[in-house]
Amino acid sequence: MLTAPALSYMLLSPMLIVFAAAVIGVLIEAFMGRAHRAAVQLTVSIGALLLSLLQLWRIRDLSSTTAAVNSVTIDKAGIFLQATVVILALIAVLLIADQDNFTAQASAIPGSNEEAIALQLKNQQTEIFPLFLFAVAGMMLFPVATDLITLFVALEVFSLPLYLLAGLSRRKRLLSQEAALKYFLLGAYASAFFLFGAAFLYGYAGTISLVGISAAAGSANEVFLLIGIVFVSVGLLFKISAVPFHSWTPDVYQGAPTPITAFMAACTKVAAFGAILRIFYIGFAEAETLWRPIITIIAILTMLLGSVVAIAQRDVKRMLAYSSIAHAGFLLSGVVALNKEGLAASLFYLMAYGLTTLAAFGIIGLVRDSSGEVTDLNRWIGLGKKSPVVGAVFAFLLLSFAGIPLTSGFIGKFAIFSAAYQSGNIALVVTGVLASAIAAFFYIRVIIMVFFTDPVNDSVSIIIPSVKSRISITVATVISAVIGVAPSLLLNVAENFSTFIK
Amino acid sequence: MAIANYLYLSAILFTIGAIGVVVRRNSIVVFMCIELMLNAANLAFVTFARINSNLEGQVVAFFTMVVAACEVVVGLAIIVTIYRSRRSASVDDASLLKR
Amino acid sequence: MQTSENLLWLIALPLFSSAILLLAGKRANSWGHIMGTIVSASTFTIGVVEFFAMQGRAEESRAVTQKLFTWISVGSFNVDASLLLDQLSICFVLLITGVGTLIHVYSIAYMSHDLDRRRFFAYLNLFIAAMLLLVLGDSYLNLYVGWEGVGLASYLLIGFWNQKPAYATAAKKAFVANRVGDVGLSLAIMIAFATFGDVSFSGMKENIDQASSTQLTAIGLMLLLAACGKSAQFPLQSWLGDAMAGPTPVSALIHAATMVTAGVYLITRSNFVFDEAPVAQLMVLIIGGVTLLFGAIIGTAKDDIKKALAASTMSQIGYMILATGLGPIGYAFAIMHLLTHGFFKASMFLGAGSVMHGMKDEVNMRKYGGIGKFMPITALTFGLGYLAIIGVPPFAGFYSKDKIIETAFNEGGIKGLALGLATLLGAMITAFYMTRVVILTFFGNERWGHKDEPHESPALMLIPIGLLSVGSVASGYLLSRGESLVHWLEPVVNPLKEHHKELLPPIVVSLMTLAVVVIGISIAVLKYRGDQLDKAPEKVSILTKAARRDLFQDDFNEATLMRPGQSLVKNLLNIDYLLIDGLVRAVGGVSISTGNKLRTLQNGYVRSYALMMVIGALALIATIWAVTA
Repeated sequence: MLTAPALSYMLLSPMLIVFAAAVIGVLIEAFMGRAHRAAVQLTVSIGALLLSLLQLWRIRDLSSTTAAVNSVTIDKAGIFLQATVVILALIAVLLIADQDNFTAQASAIPGSNEEAIALQLKNQQTEIFPLFLFAVAGMMLFPVATDLITLFVALEVFSLPLYLLAGLSRRKRLLSQEAALKYFLLGAYASAFFLFGAAFLYGYAGTISLVGISAAAGSANEVFLLIGIVFVSVGLLFKISAVPFHSWTPDVYQGAPTPITAFMAACTKVAAFGAILRIFYIGFAEAETLWRPIITIIAILTMLLGSVVAIAQRDVKRMLAYSSIAHAGFLLSGVVALNKEGLAASLFYLMAYGLTTLAAFGIIGLVRDSSGEVTDLNRWIGLGKKSPVVGAVFAFLLLSFAGIPLTSGFIGKFAIFSAAYQSGNIALVVTGVLASAIAAFFYIRVIIMVFFTDPVNDSVSIIIPSVKSRISITVATVISAVIGVAPSLLLNVAENFSTFIK
Repeated sequence: MAIANYLYLSAILFTIGAIGVVVRRNSIVVFMCIELMLNAANLAFVTFARINSNLEGQVVAFFTMVVAACEVVVGLAIIVTIYRSRRSASVDDASLLKR
Repeated sequence: MQTSENLLWLIALPLFSSAILLLAGKRANSWGHIMGTIVSASTFTIGVVEFFAMQGRAEESRAVTQKLFTWISVGSFNVDASLLLDQLSICFVLLITGVGTLIHVYSIAYMSHDLDRRRFFAYLNLFIAAMLLLVLGDSYLNLYVGWEGVGLASYLLIGFWNQKPAYATAAKKAFVANRVGDVGLSLAIMIAFATFGDVSFSGMKENIDQASSTQLTAIGLMLLLAACGKSAQFPLQSWLGDAMAGPTPVSALIHAATMVTAGVYLITRSNFVFDEAPVAQLMVLIIGGVTLLFGAIIGTAKDDIKKALAASTMSQIGYMILATGLGPIGYAFAIMHLLTHGFFKASMFLGAGSVMHGMKDEVNMRKYGGIGKFMPITALTFGLGYLAIIGVPPFAGFYSKDKIIETAFNEGGIKGLALGLATLLGAMITAFYMTRVVILTFFGNERWGHKDEPHESPALMLIPIGLLSVGSVASGYLLSRGESLVHWLEPVVNPLKEHHKELLPPIVVSLMTLAVVVIGISIAVLKYRGDQLDKAPEKVSILTKAARRDLFQDDFNEATLMRPGQSLVKNLLNIDYLLIDGLVRAVGGVSISTGNKLRTLQNGYVRSYALMMVIGALALIATIWAVTA
């Protein structure tokens, strides 16, 4: 006799709301007239995210390992990570709502008559909203999933929509489609590694739950565990763009529509790091002698490569892509720390980094000439003189990336390196500080170009941002500034929420 | 036949897939290689289900098939679009984004 | 400890003023400089009030604090944003605001033709705020905020005339050289946090015996690195000369009197670390000794009057750093020299600015000559500063520098002898190059090659210079009378109760110093009397050539670090070295070239990305195997 599994809907409601909204979004696409579709879709998305945030607030003190049988664990850290994803998604959706970043008709061949007509009719691909919501829901599931199959499903649920979204840019469509293809092929490749690793973990432990894997320590075949850990790590490290699994990042960040890049850069990192933290802190905690050395090496390589290559970039989106790689390295230090401080610091860092990233890409979306966004750094020269406010905000965000005191980036780095130091990883800390110094070099180089060099041509202008982008960039920048000056506001919360339960 | 042989087969299939992705140019074939890798993983899951004598691995296999099917939908959509714009399915042609 | 509500105003006033000046834009052009100056003067007033209030209190309750807010509070880690005003910081507050105000006044006239004078004052105010935060912070983290702030202000001011590319480059070089030092400071903070769980001065001082000597040595060395970056000490000294691209008041305020001495402050403030870490302390001595000679030698060959003075600053700070390395007794003398140096060097820089003002911004001393009779007041004040720096009694430098030389000799043994001789030699070279500067500028034949006679500067410039020269005459006597400064600083630096042993009586040291000074002067007079050419002679000894090239500091950096980096990238087109030369350019060059090399890995082909992933996965397996097997 089968009994229906018990689900605690209250704990799952934040995710269920977003999933439901995504499905409703699909229905709207199918049945609603074109005229008001975009507005309705945006309303549904924002409403769902706000509702989800409200639910997260209501369940903030609850926890359970059996929220959905044994597949989902809702705990403090899980709730914090979900809230981070939702907050960042709320800011990102406002950027995404600026429709002129997206192609009028994705199926039309670039440069064809069909495309021209679609542009003329002011068609809009409103499918981006349901796709976006599916991605958000997947990202919320990823860090709370506690067995291998749920992890895999969540991974695919948030990845597949992103592959599609990456290909929907309005301008430079060939580049955008190429980004989608690369992202898809490499992402699927990484997923295959993940799944293969998962199979061997299952073979090792005889169960697919993370707790079971941790409990099997010492009693089973170590080779299976080794293969499992390595291949699962490959899948996860790909998502956070750690070296040597980072090569997709610059290409995809450059090719994808800028609001999608913003969303991807901020939220994917949160979700993927959430999952990594949970997997390594719970599932692989007993096997730390196996993975700690390699993750340390990867963290060092990632920090250094990200920082060094960023210097040589000529495109601002690629530069931020490498900066995101470098930040992945800093965040990996928090994973290696393997202590409560490391977890708290990672939570803080993810929120701070996400906000800064969203705002920075938001600004990139404003710098344009007649043919669309201008991402060539040489054409950014002297931009700060033309538009001091935008220049100043961008400079502030770069300083935050660089980790200059009184910015959230500084506090994040400080917290994460202290945690790494406490766990005895001095090499990591030294490399980290060194990489920060190198990184500061290129952030400051950009600030110099923007502010202290005379403009060479006047074809680039900063468009007046729409109300939506303005709200989005302002909110992200202001929160980022506030947690830089008064970090204890968020640090305390992160500290309180830094517990995984088994 | 020893059950470990299924694992070897799975590993061989996975390796063939992994190498195929690196050496083949046609994006459809590359994609098929990835599917091969997923199926190799599936085989491993089922084999381990047998070894561990529980059903979890088999359940996973079904999930994987569904997910793989979704991946096919998305993947083919992307590949077809890019084929229509470029008149080429070679992954090497799509290399404008670099450095 | 007592609290005071006034400390915040010291920082807030100039900070607000700076913000207003920057935000108000052109509207503030007519009154911006006046507001900036008034604000600076009011901070000085607050400083003086606080000083007298402090003097009125008993010795053990002189320090006051003000807690602003809790900055970071996570678990056991707690950093308050708090200010601390004690006997050490009040010295700096008075110096910064006092000299700062005079320089504000001076700049009103000096910058009067500059369209961007308002912005200049905004940056000056910003600098004052950041520098005050640096010396008032009660923990290393708060100090760090000010430390970065003065770096930023310095960068903005050096590059103030950034329309000239060379100036902008100099600004970048200074900024990035400072960043190298900053890495040291942030590492020191992290090690301190890991060791003590606390980064406040008082907390660390109380628990100093918790730390092992290795940890303390590491903290000490990192702090020293930070000090080297900020105070232009060997091997991070190369930016100071280039920083002279900034307007002269900036050179006087930031690159002579205040910011560059932050390293001395840092070491003195961290006395409790260095006293327990003999290795680090020895390194301090070595760095100080090397730099004081290094700077002095460079100073002998510079024809640019500001660069000659900059080299001299480097050398004088070398004296201070050396003094801080001498342990408890040395700190007070380091601070004393810092204060007197603040007066006489600022007065000389402003004098140089006055000369430039009268000479159409000419900085080459070979094109001066005989200016003394056209600019008598400038010549007189410069002369007083000159007498002070070479240490002629009873001018300020005599009291402070002799104390350092004497304490160096009193170290005893080989170490004492080496340090003593180095400081003596430094004194002789100082006398030589300063005499050279004075002769080339104010005496001899007129070599400026155009008809316009130099004119004396306006009163608004001369009054600050005059007041500073009063300081360079009297400050030494006032500070050393009855060892007043030494006693004043005692609670902060804990000097040993038994007084240091005297190997040589003070009078002997003074006579020796005077003797070498006279030798130095005589050589200079013999060499530079009579008519000079308006060009530097070509046929000179190797030593002079070396000195002219800054003892190969840039060449060394270039040869060891930059060339290999460059050869790496020769085959890659379009490499523009966007930033800075010297050591930093080397680091940057290597990074850029490595970056470019690595960039080629990103060839755009999906298949090679996939290959990279496979190789990565295999490497991971291999690594684990190697680690566990």
